[in-house]
Amino acid sequence: MASSANSNPVPKLYKSVIEDVINEVRELFLDEGVDEQVLLELKTLWENKLLQSKAVEGFHTEEQAALQAAQQQQQQHQVQQVQQVQQVQQQVQQVHQVQQVNQPAQAQQVILPPQQQQAPQQQVIVQDSKILQHMSATGMSAAATAATLALPTGVTPYQQLITSQGQILQVVRAANGAQYIIQPQQQILVQQQMQPGSVQAPVIQQVLAPMQGGLSQQGVIIQPQQIVLASGNKVQGNPQAAALAQQPGQAATAQVQQVQQVQQVQGSAAPQVPAQTQAQQPPMILQADGAGDTSSEDDQDDEEEEYGEDEEEEKDKDGGEDGQVEEEPLNSSDDVSDEEDQELFDTENVVVCQYDKIHRSKNKWKFHLKDGIMNLNGRDYVFSKAIGDAEW
Amino acid sequence: MAYQLYRNTTLGNSLQESLDELIQTQQITPQLALQVLLQFDKAINMALANRVRNRVNFRGSLNTYRFCDNVWTFVLNDVEFREVTDLVKVDKVKIVACDGKK
Repeated sequence: MASSANSNPVPKLYKSVIEDVINEVRELFLDEGVDEQVLLELKTLWENKLLQSKAVEGFHTEEQAALQAAQQQQQQHQVQQVQQVQQVQQQVQQVHQVQQVNQPAQAQQVILPPQQQQAPQQQVIVQDSKILQHMSATGMSAAATAATLALPTGVTPYQQLITSQGQILQVVRAANGAQYIIQPQQQILVQQQMQPGSVQAPVIQQVLAPMQGGLSQQGVIIQPQQIVLASGNKVQGNPQAAALAQQPGQAATAQVQQVQQVQQVQGSAAPQVPAQTQAQQPPMILQADGAGDTSSEDDQDDEEEEYGEDEEEEKDKDGGEDGQVEEEPLNSSDDVSDEEDQELFDTENVVVCQYDKIHRSKNKWKFHLKDGIMNLNGRDYVFSKAIGDAEW
Repeated sequence: MAYQLYRNTTLGNSLQESLDELIQTQQITPQLALQVLLQFDKAINMALANRVRNRVNFRGSLNTYRFCDNVWTFVLNDVEFREVTDLVKVDKVKIVACDGKK
């Protein structure tokens, strides 16, 4: 029976976790007045995504295989439905808000076959099912696919949002759980949470909140240089810098640099306005020292010092000529790490675990870890104990 | 409260994505989704502690190490992970470890 001794514990573990979670939240769902149907849908979505990720081997194989075949057919229909969905989205959102005012039981009607006689609701239901199909499958439009491929590793696309303007945005989730929305035309990643009628102020608060709360739990790395930048800049450009500072390692270094530079242009452009009237200098970015010094007063120097440092580096590259955005390509050679090429490949191999003991002698490190989940070369593994050695 | 550490795994991410889809179609509230995630944290922590019983060894070279807020983050290169059954080699791996306490 040697062949059966090597069974993979992962699928069983995952299944048991799913069962546990679903059973535990059943009560929560009922308390909120949400139908059991939604709970089952959650379970189905969850299992499907696990299957699609191919990180786990074989999982309710027969059922899921049938579901997968059905989903592939749905993806073909998606392209046709996308346009219809765009037009309908606005109406649906409005009707949804109205529906929420009504009893929650009416939410069921969205899923069940329409038996009502009210014409507008029928329309909504039909279109809703299309949206549901659209939302639940993971097909992507060509533009979104191209944008997604351009992303570094650790950022997986998971959802398409259709704004009220009819743009298809790609919502992705980076490795640390932060959400980003990619607008295909732009090159800059903007972090927002898309909700109907979203406003800037609450978005900023939401952005900052997970940063504080999730620090110790999720092992988020905040690189010190970026913190200085974030605290030094004015609040306008702050949430973007602070949020991007969350990204682990050098995964997004290049992009962060790009955004930083753009933000510095923006951030320094604001205080520049009064300065310009005094100094009457054409360049947009103040430079504190070095060639082409544009500052003429000490007051300005003090204000600018905090976030002047990085600007100086850029200015030195330029020869201190103009503060245009063309600094971006010039500074790309500053990037020491060659991690980017590796990042562009499929998975970042990650191990998430707890440590019992970490030991170091000179440059010899020993790791005693426990209760971990690993994703290596695209596949999932688990361990109750892991012991490792490495030289630094 | 159990560590939210395991949310950024295949299992955790697929749950979050599914919850987000349900929020998008307004079938559940964000508050409920949060409750589900908290329940997931408890379930995965318990499952890993109680239902998994295997050991892994690994060896490689340490590229970077970071200890902040009691969380260790390592990046190792050219690592071999060895279990009784098999061997997995990777060029680069990131290890994020929270305090095992006890």
